[in-house]
Amino acid sequence: MNAIIRLVYRNLRANLDRLSLFFELIFPLFFIFVQGYALGGIVQPFEVGGVTLSYPLFLAAGAVTLTVINSGTNAGTQLWFDRKNGMFEQILMGPFTRAQYILSIILATLVIGIAGSLLVFGIAFPVLGARATLTPSGLAVVFLALFLGTMFFGSFAIAISVALRSSETFQIVSTFAFFVFLFTSSVFYPPEFAPPAIRFVSNLNPLTYTTDLFRAGLFGSEVPLLFLGVLAAETVGMFALAVFAFRRIRV
Amino acid sequence: MTPELAIEVKDLVKRFGEKTAIDRISFETKRGEVFGFLGPNGAGKTTTIKILTTLLQPTSGTANVLGYDVRTQGKMIRERIGVVQQQDSFDQGLRTEASMDIYGLVWDVPKAERRRRIAELIERFDMQDFRNTPTIDLSAGQRRRLQVAREFVHDMELLFLDEPTSGLDAIVRRKVLDFFKEKVREGLTIFFTTHILEEAEYLCDRIAVVNRGRIVQIGTPQNLKRRFGRTKAVEFRLLEGSSAELAESIGRSGLVVKLHQDQSGAYKVMTSKPEAVIPEIYRAADRLGLTVSSIYIAETTLEDAFITLVSEGVEEG
Repeated sequence: MNAIIRLVYRNLRANLDRLSLFFELIFPLFFIFVQGYALGGIVQPFEVGGVTLSYPLFLAAGAVTLTVINSGTNAGTQLWFDRKNGMFEQILMGPFTRAQYILSIILATLVIGIAGSLLVFGIAFPVLGARATLTPSGLAVVFLALFLGTMFFGSFAIAISVALRSSETFQIVSTFAFFVFLFTSSVFYPPEFAPPAIRFVSNLNPLTYTTDLFRAGLFGSEVPLLFLGVLAAETVGMFALAVFAFRRIRV
Repeated sequence: MTPELAIEVKDLVKRFGEKTAIDRISFETKRGEVFGFLGPNGAGKTTTIKILTTLLQPTSGTANVLGYDVRTQGKMIRERIGVVQQQDSFDQGLRTEASMDIYGLVWDVPKAERRRRIAELIERFDMQDFRNTPTIDLSAGQRRRLQVAREFVHDMELLFLDEPTSGLDAIVRRKVLDFFKEKVREGLTIFFTTHILEEAEYLCDRIAVVNRGRIVQIGTPQNLKRRFGRTKAVEFRLLEGSSAELAESIGRSGLVVKLHQDQSGAYKVMTSKPEAVIPEIYRAADRLGLTVSSIYIAETTLEDAFITLVSEGVEEG
């Protein structure tokens, strides 16, 4: 069996807490069904990318991508567990390279991110009575958005996990960053209605592009290629930063 | 590097900023031997292991492990070694047996072989009682046993043991050491660090004593004891139990390096001249009206040689 696959399997078995995973799934569903229905009564359906959506449905697509950022944080947690429990050095003294190890963490994160997103999607959309017009190209865009988004946030979590000195600080900083990404993205509202400062931050935010691409793929609206380019560039940049930071970990 | 060598180190240096952790050490380890690396805290033992296991790059010098260069052929080395670190290392989300299985899988050991080896190791390391216990709930000693046993799930030519028995009770420790000996007889080479000098004496074929990043001496335990075990222990008991006056009198003789009474009541006198100290003990006891009930010269231990080498700064000659 390939070394990376073996490590991915080990990461999934050893470092993932089932209870935490359960709550990571509950979290977006809570947004969809509580916030979505609560605000759905006062927010009229509006047009996004040429498609008219109700607020619960708009939010549902955004909340699915919440799973992406959640599972991204998991990458940092996996690294912290391994460092705290001595498995980081143990694995690096085994028949692996550092690149294989970091890639295995990202891939394990991808598995959780994509599986979690699809699960949330599978639960939420039938309940909302939505009709997703998924074409093969739309499906490809959905997967690409989830892939790039998870890669970005996984790399981001690894970079800050390496930079910070304790797991407690990592939890605090990653939670803060989580809310900054979340509330300045297009998960809860279309940024074009927001004040210019928030719109500016939103335009830099990879979660905005992940969410918009996911919605576009899902509802069959036009896929903004520029968004894809920006998200891909941000992901490559963040992955490079994570690798750079990872190489500097002192053992 | 000749094929019979497992490790060959020449003028190895490791600096962390201004601090020199390893200062031009050189040594060789033969295949099939247990090579001990002894030294006080901060002597450079763990840093040496981290370089030999390719976790750290040396600042200068050369090191070959199993014929491969630590700088450029790290993966080739790591595929052929096992490491039991000084620090704890465990997968916190797994139970004991599952963690051994996942570890074997990570090393690409076939499933049937993993099962066979794990069953054997669980029995050999007395782990039946906690085979299904989550690793996070294990005691320090149980976790240590798991950490050592786990390393034998996969094949290796050379095993690095960095204080592997810390936290183990005496009975388990002896079992573990005997298991190591058995594996050495089957052809395994072991690089071993420990603070427990009796262990080193029991297990090691040769020992390097390190201090402040330098190798002080290399030799067999017997040779080191013979050459550097200068201080001997004279142990005696008084029929009356204890006497502060007697201890003070012997202490004033100028022959004693150290004198103390242990919990059982036995006095232990460290001296380089036991033949002069014994009559002095009898004379002092007579003078004070006390009776010496037993007296003998204890055998020189590796600890005596180690203390001489480290505290007197003896250099390799």
